[in-house]
Formats: sequence, structure tokens, C-alpha cells
Amino acid sequence: MRDDFMSGGYKQQPGAARGTTRKDGKRVAGKQKFPPPGSGGSNPNMAPRDLDWIPESVGGKEPQPAGSHIHDRYRTGTSVGKPRALVDSHAKVTGQAWYGDDVRLQNEIIGKILRSPHHYAKIKSIDTSKVEALPGVLAVATGQDAPNTFGVLPVTKDEHAMAVEKVRHVGDLVACVAAVDEATAMEALNLFEIEWEVLEPVFDPKKGLEDQDEPIHWRGKYHVGKTNVQKRVFQEFGDRSLVEEPSASSHGKWRMEGVHHGFTEPHAVVAHWDPNGRLQLYTPQQVPHYAHRALSTVLEVPMHQINVIRTFVGGGFGGKSDPFPHEMCAAILARKAGRPVRINFSREEVYWINRGRHPSHIEVKMTADEDARISGFDIDALIDGGGFASFGHVTSYYNGVLATAPYELGSFHYTGARVWTNKPASGAMRGHGAVNTRCAVEVGLDEMSEQLEVDPIDLRLANLLPPHSRTISGFRITSNGMREALERVREGSNWDQKFRQMPLGKGIGIGCGFFISGSGLPIHWDPNRFPHATVHMQIDMDGGVTVHTGAADIGQGSTTAVAQVVSEVLALPIEMIHVRSHESDTSPVDLGSYSSRVTFMNANAAIRAALDIREKLLNAAWEMIGYHPDVLVLNDRRIYYKHDPAVGVSYLEALHKAQEDKGSLIASGAYRSPPMGGVHKGAAAGLAPAYSFSAYVAEVDVDVETGLISCTDVWAAHDCGKALNPLAVEGQIIGSCHMGLGQVLSEKMVYGRTGHLQNPNLLEYKIPSVHEMPNVTPIIVESSDPEGPFGAKEAGEGPLLPILPAVVNAVYDAIGVRIRELPLTPDVVWKAISAKTKSMDGIDPTDLPAPRLNHGPLQATLVERGNEHRERDKKRQRSEDTSAYVNGVLFGFDPERPMEDQVEGWKTAVEPVPEQLAELGLAGKAWLKKEQRHMGGEQ
Amino acid sequence: MVGEAHVSMIPTTPKKVWSANVNGHAVQALAPSNAILLDVLRDEVGMLGVKRGCDLGTCGCCTVLVNGEPRLSCLCLAGQVEGDDITTVEGLAEGAHLAPIQTCFATHGGSQCGFCTPGFLMAAEALLDSNPKPSREEISCAIDGNLCRCTGYQQIIDSIEAAAEIKRGDAPAPAPASDPHPNPHPEGPEEPSMPPGHAR
Repeated sequence: MRDDFMSGGYKQQPGAARGTTRKDGKRVAGKQKFPPPGSGGSNPNMAPRDLDWIPESVGGKEPQPAGSHIHDRYRTGTSVGKPRALVDSHAKVTGQAWYGDDVRLQNEIIGKILRSPHHYAKIKSIDTSKVEALPGVLAVATGQDAPNTFGVLPVTKDEHAMAVEKVRHVGDLVACVAAVDEATAMEALNLFEIEWEVLEPVFDPKKGLEDQDEPIHWRGKYHVGKTNVQKRVFQEFGDRSLVEEPSASSHGKWRMEGVHHGFTEPHAVVAHWDPNGRLQLYTPQQVPHYAHRALSTVLEVPMHQINVIRTFVGGGFGGKSDPFPHEMCAAILARKAGRPVRINFSREEVYWINRGRHPSHIEVKMTADEDARISGFDIDALIDGGGFASFGHVTSYYNGVLATAPYELGSFHYTGARVWTNKPASGAMRGHGAVNTRCAVEVGLDEMSEQLEVDPIDLRLANLLPPHSRTISGFRITSNGMREALERVREGSNWDQKFRQMPLGKGIGIGCGFFISGSGLPIHWDPNRFPHATVHMQIDMDGGVTVHTGAADIGQGSTTAVAQVVSEVLALPIEMIHVRSHESDTSPVDLGSYSSRVTFMNANAAIRAALDIREKLLNAAWEMIGYHPDVLVLNDRRIYYKHDPAVGVSYLEALHKAQEDKGSLIASGAYRSPPMGGVHKGAAAGLAPAYSFSAYVAEVDVDVETGLISCTDVWAAHDCGKALNPLAVEGQIIGSCHMGLGQVLSEKMVYGRTGHLQNPNLLEYKIPSVHEMPNVTPIIVESSDPEGPFGAKEAGEGPLLPILPAVVNAVYDAIGVRIRELPLTPDVVWKAISAKTKSMDGIDPTDLPAPRLNHGPLQATLVERGNEHRERDKKRQRSEDTSAYVNGVLFGFDPERPMEDQVEGWKTAVEPVPEQLAELGLAGKAWLKKEQRHMGGEQ
Repeated sequence: MVGEAHVSMIPTTPKKVWSANVNGHAVQALAPSNAILLDVLRDEVGMLGVKRGCDLGTCGCCTVLVNGEPRLSCLCLAGQVEGDDITTVEGLAEGAHLAPIQTCFATHGGSQCGFCTPGFLMAAEALLDSNPKPSREEISCAIDGNLCRCTGYQQIIDSIEAAAEIKRGDAPAPAPASDPHPNPHPEGPEEPSMPPGHAR
């Protein structure tokens, strides 16, 4: 023992520390006479192991139908899988949670932004003299104060803090002012004198495909002709010969209006250059790290002089996931004025910054062969980007690439294009580009089912990619709960008794979803071996675990998820885990809350850090009680010998032992996605370390005389791998239904004929109230992802995708009219009903025939194949079958050899050949022009 | 809250003393006669739990109770409620002891991002004070002036139903999910039967 070494023989603690013999003659092992400093509090006795929450594979009672997981041996039954309140809920229900506008610093002044009244105009001059002369104005700034560009994606930095040369949409930032109070700042906005040269605006993305007099942005040598095309994508894989002579086909042209995230908290920001000259920026941000980088670029200040403080976030959903110009403005004004500046948005301003879902023109063609296999998908997506790129480069990919699963395809082709227009910028919104295309695809499958005379659920069940497979685009699928999701909603909704059997006006429909659980490749390439998430952990002598993470909790519960996994690994109640995640100064980098990555990546990093601490605690216990860590158990604040729970030490004792000579225990854990995917251009888009799968059944009532739709019930199954907190997962499922339902039934950003946004407020932009919500039965499917933290995958965005097609398909089941336009407002539905009744010799809408289904011969084929595949998938899920599987096996191809070697004419292309151009759709027109560098233009 | 009273440099409505009973305390503030209640509560009285969401009276985030009745503070002039009893979310708890409605919003998933929560809590509290056993339909009607973008409302209704049960005494006040003050040095079960270091 080393007890004499440090203290030079002086024993600080009275009494013998070891080996006392008690009255009854038994020896007591290693108990100190006095409780260690830091003890006290309630629950003085260790609870027995909660076997219900410990997996079967490690001796517990928790069933594991999806098989075991590498993290099973770290399950202690403390937290994972148990529904619980979010750890920051106390602050929220007492009104103490501090959002952007709640940060009130001493000496603050109020900032306001001057916004463009024009859709598209050059700024000839700005005269700020009258503004500066107004008493009470303390700082003024214009675009000249910040010439460096920024943007959320490093490949498309096309934004300025304030417009430098021209404004690109009504509401675009022109200048800003800070004054002693709001009234003065508002008055000051009226005093700017600006000379404009108004330009001809473009509102229609189709127009944007043509050459312009003045393209909205200029991409230099990459600019496509002289158009407003910001990004174009082409991908083609597979065997086109399979598409010839289909047994069924569907061709649909869709128009989806732009929608907005609709969070209740308007943007706000507080900037303060502290007494040490560093910028403290308080902002409700989903991506504080990206804001940090952008601020450094725009303000020309090194990142280490900036502390980004993420406040509580009153809803993000992709609408607070860009570095924002107003954040730059606040910082610039605060630097000039020498006082903290607070800018808060009116609700209208929330629409000017936008970043909502792109208005889209989507065309989907698909075919099925004589065995009801899906022989081909052809997708064309033209999306309206508005005035800036934002996340649009990525959206352009997601509109296509995320349709390569969950079904096995004979061939796949996608052409996409994003076009700038003079409207508030579109960006990332929950589910991103995958949402609109998924709706179109799922409705196409419904149409093909009708032609094939089969049940649409059986069509899907017989065409699913199995667990542990690769898509036609090279994505690695690991855990896959699609089958179970489909089967459970079929049963829960009583599908077989209802589909195509209900009276006119009542309908039921199915829709599926497939989404990434974190983008596999980070958007910043440099430094490109950086982890995607890092978590630090620190425990001092009081026993409290402080976890530092950059994970931005936006209401989804990331703080809780991180606390839960740490609590689980260390077998400590969650009250002993304190997560600090607000400040970049003390939080290691996390890339941000987007692409549904936070639980997956931060919980994984947290587990790694916790395992490091666990090892230190076990080693300390080994020294104290003489048993090797392999036979020690962590349970409820104690570590004990697994065959005798009485032989052990408390967490605090082991901690103090581990801290000898070291002080605080510190650990760091990081997570990085494994390298994967193909090497073609754009191969990285859509890559993820895991994917989520969902299937929803929606039941609707449609009034054929008014076009009014009411969604009454939804059975919503979502494969989240493992529900760390089932209460939170269910909340995400129901909340996603709400948001998706809004897009289907009532939400749209309305642009009038003059291009003006007509409804920038929550009265006329209609998000569903409580009365519009159906009864949602959330169904959690757990496929236990091998790479996920305790098997968990995302549940933040994926649950939104299926509700759109489920409702659209249900409407068809109710009235026999297929509508390919969103939202399905009553006037849209009524128009479609009118057209149908007119085509039937003007019958009364109440006499419309409700669709019916008589199973054809292929139904039996599908059921049989579905049953075979169910057995195949069960074995693969439980790793009882580890053979290779790639998209194509269903069509008879060998998974062990490259497709190009097996199939003559197997295509892998990222650019259309000239002969194809005539066949392409709207987005295909973006490929008619050449880039400048290929035209001899801009070198 | 800024600790100084600004004298505005541009012509504005002059400020005068406004007084009311906020969360059980007599409060005085300086506010112009055209000030809305929301701004006075947030900027002058310091009740930052009352939220501004939409500027138009459409989202319900600014809901407070005026003499026990729910009211949109953004559509209410401060002057209209001078002298009245105003309750904000900050007035629901008794010290550290949360009201059942607050606990249930936490334990039943009624609060995700939390921004709309104060408004819902006030509407729910007013409902439960007048209707101790509301049906889910009645709860929906009581909260149909509040928008939520995170929860889809279902767990909010669950939370209010659960709180109603507790208030009526039909269910016990919930114990916290786990002990808030756990002892990091617990005792194990009975005495060990063998000395340390002896493997079985």
C-alpha cells in the first residue's frame, strides 16, 4: 500500500482503515470507519439489479428479438429504455429556460435590421447620415462593414452579413442599427436613404433554368451557362433493360408548395464583446459550431476569440441550423457601440430568413415486372432555392438519393436541379429533400399496386432490402426494421378489414419512410479526420459527473440522451450527471443538430468517455477489494463482486481511490463514422452510419362535397434501433405527424402574382391546432443497430416522412381521386373531384365509386415471397446469416461480383449523355447548358 | 432586465406608473400608456417566462391569467389590467414545490423545446380550476388557442389529464423519476461471507 508514501507516515484518518473484525467474528472487508467526504443525501442503500432493464444476453430479463449488441455488457439497468422526463424540463415548466430574447445583459441596447422592400435590386448608394444623427442611435452598419461571405456549407458561401452589391429577395438584409431603445431603433430604420436600381426578378424556378440578364449569384467557372441554376445532380445506376415491358407502371408529376418550420420561438440574438475583448454571442442555434466558424470569417477575428453560447432553442427543425446574417449584424453593432446588442425578430422576419422546405416540382416514373419486382425508379426534381444556397447543395442530392431504399430496385435514375429565385431562401427542414420525393414514390407504389391487383403492403413486404445490405447507390444498410414496422401498423390499424372496403368518403392509406441517422461525411473537409462528435467527462471528489458536449439540445432531448447513456454505463442516477452544452468555450466540437446525428454520434462519444472512467473505477475497486474487473458489477452507485453483492465498494470510495495522486478524473470520447460508400461524384450524399425506417397507416374522412379532409387516426411505426427514452421517441413520432400533416393539409407559403409572400404570420400560415390532430398510436420498433449507442438510431426526422404519402393514399382510398399536389386544401381536393365527376358525365360527387380491390394472381406470389424474405431477414438481423447482400440479388445477380461484370449495360453514371437529354424532365433542363469553364468562359 | 429607465430621444408616449398584483405581489413599473401587457411583464416586471411568439395573438405563447381567466397578453394593453391579479408561469410553483400541472408536463412529455409551455400551463391551470374532471375533448377546447410545433399536442393532453387526476386526489402526487439527492456512498446488502481476494 502507498498510504505512507505521500503523507510521510502521518495518518490523517483516525482508526484503522482495513481489516477490522466485528462482534460476530466476521471480517469486514475494506470499510472505512467514517463515510468519505462527499457522501450524504438520501437512498443510503443500494437497490438490487433491475433485471427487467438488463438484456437477456448478459443475464437479464430484457428480451432481445433483434439479437444482442456489443454494448449489452455495459447495460446496468439504470436509465436506458426507461421513459423519463427530459433533464431540463424543470427549467421549462417554471419559465426559467432562457431563450434568445431572454438574455438581458446589463447596459444592453436594441438592434434592428433594415430589410429590402424590393425583390431584386442593386444598391447604388446608402446614406446613413440622418440615421447617425438621430439622438439615441449608437451604431450603424451596412454591407461595407462585412465584405466576407459565409454560408452553412463551405462549398456554397454566398451570403453576406448585409447585402453588398444587391438584394435578392424582399426581406433581405440591407443595413442595421442599434439604439438605446426599440422605438428609436425602429425610427432610425426610416432614416436610411438608399438609391436602388431595381432589377427584373425571377419567381418561377422553371424560368430560372434559362439564361438570365443578371443571374442572382455568379458561380464563376462552375456557373451553368448564364442561368440561375445553383446545383444540378445526375445519378444513374442499374440495368435499364429491366424496365422494358413492365407489368405495371406509374408516372406522376407533383407540385409541392414551400412550407416553413413554424417553431414558436422567433429568432433572437445577443452579442457582447466582453471586458477581455472576446465576443460572447447568445443565440438559439442548432449548429453553434458552424456559426462559430462563420462569425470568425465575417468578423475577421480568430475563432478562439469568440464564445458561441447556445441558449435554449424554442424549436429548430432546420430553421435555426444556418449561421445567420443577423448574428453577424448583432456582433458588428456591438463591436461598434461598445455595448451588448440584442436583436429579436418579429414573426414576419422569421419568414424572411426562411430556410423552409423547397417548393418542388417532382416527377416520378416507376415500373414493375411480371414478378411484381420494382424494376425501375426515374426521378426528376426541380427545387426552388430562393435567394441563397443555404443547405441547398445537399437538398439537391437528398431529393433523389434517399429513394434508393428501402426497396430493392432493378434500376435507378435521378436528375435534380436547384434554382435561385428572388424569394426568401429555402433550406433544410425536417426530413430535408427526402420528404417530398418519398411522398411521390410511395403514392406511385400505391398506383402500381392497383394495376398489379395486389395489396400495397404486400407489394412492399416482398420487395424490401434486407438488414445488412447495400443499396443500388452503395449505401450501407445495417439494422433494418422496415418489415416489422409494416407488419405492426397493418395489424394495429386493422388494415386487411379496411383497405379498399370502406364506404365513399372514408379511406385508409400506407406510406413508408427511410432516413439517415446522421450524415456519414461532415460538410467541412478540412481537417477531415476530425471526429464528428467529442464528449468530455470530468468527475471531482464530490462524485458529480460533469459531461461537456457540444450537442445542441433544441427540444429533442439530446442533453437527456447523453446524460442517460453516461448514467447507464456508470450505474449512477441521472441526477448525478450534469451536462454542460451551452458554450463553445467549454464544449468540445459537435457538428450540430441536423441530419439527425446528435443522439447517434454524441451518445456514442459519451459512451466511449464513460467507458474510460468505468475502467478507472473498476481498477480502483480491484485494488480495494481484490477482484478483477471481469468479475465486478456496477450497480446503483456501487461496484461489487458479481457472486457476492456484499463484497464491494461504493462509487464514491472507488472514485476517491482512483483519484489518488491524480485529482479529478477526466476522460474524452469521440465518434467518427466509418469510411463507407462508393466513389462516384456525390457518393457521399446520403451516406450514413445507420438508417431509420418507418411505416404509417393513416385513416381519413373526406367530405366529397366540400373537399375537406380530416385525418382521424394514424398508426405510426418507427424503427429507432433502440428507444433510449421511449417517452421522448413517442413525442417525436407524434410531433412529426403534426408537422407532416400540416404540409399535407394546410401549410403553404403563399406567393402572389407579384411575387410577394402573402402570409408571413401564424394566422394565415396554418399549422395544425389541437383540433386538426388525429389519434396517433406511436409504435416503437427496435432493430438494435450495431453501430448505434446501445443500438439507438434517429427518431427526429425520419418519423415525418411517412405521414404525407399515408394521407395522400388514404384520400385516394376514400374518394378514388389521385391528387398530386400539396397541400390538399379543400379547394384543391374539390377541383380534383370536379374534374373526376365531369369525366364521368357529371355525376354527383356523392355517387363517386369508392375504389375496390380484387386480388389478382400476383397477390399470392407476393405473399409467398414476403414470407420467404421474412425468414431471410430474421436470420440476417440476428447475424445468423452473414452472407453478402447487395441490391440486385432479388433480380438474380451475384452479390460477390461487381454488377458491371455480370450485367452488360449496367450503368453507373453521374452525368447524362447527350442522347438522354431529350428524355429528361424539368430538372434535366439544367443539364442543357454547359458550365462556364467548358464554354471557354471564367477560368 | 435593464436597470435604467430610458428617457427616449424621439417623441414617444410618456411613461407613467403602472401597478398591478403580479403572482401575488404588488408591483409597480414605468410604462407608456400604449404599452402592451406582454412587454411590461417581460421588460419592466422581469417575468421572462411569458413568451412572445407571433405578434398577432395567434400562438398563445403569451397567455397569462388575469383574475384567473386566460388572456393573451400581447393583445392586452397594460392599462386595461391595471390593479388586477395577474398570474404568470412564475407564479404557479410554491417555492421549489411545483404545481401538479408543471410536474405532469415534465413527466408526460408535454414539454419538448419548452417555448410554448408557459402559455399552455396557464391555459391548463385555468381549465383545471374551473373544471376538475375535464374530458379529453374539453381539454382540447381549452388549449385550442395555443400552438405547439414539437409535441403534436397528444402528450400535452396526457399531461393535463394526469394533472387533473392529481389535483382531484384520484392519483398520488408523482414521485420524482429518481431521487434528486442520491447518496454517492450507499451501503451494500448484508455482510460479506468471505474475505476479499478469495475467488470462488
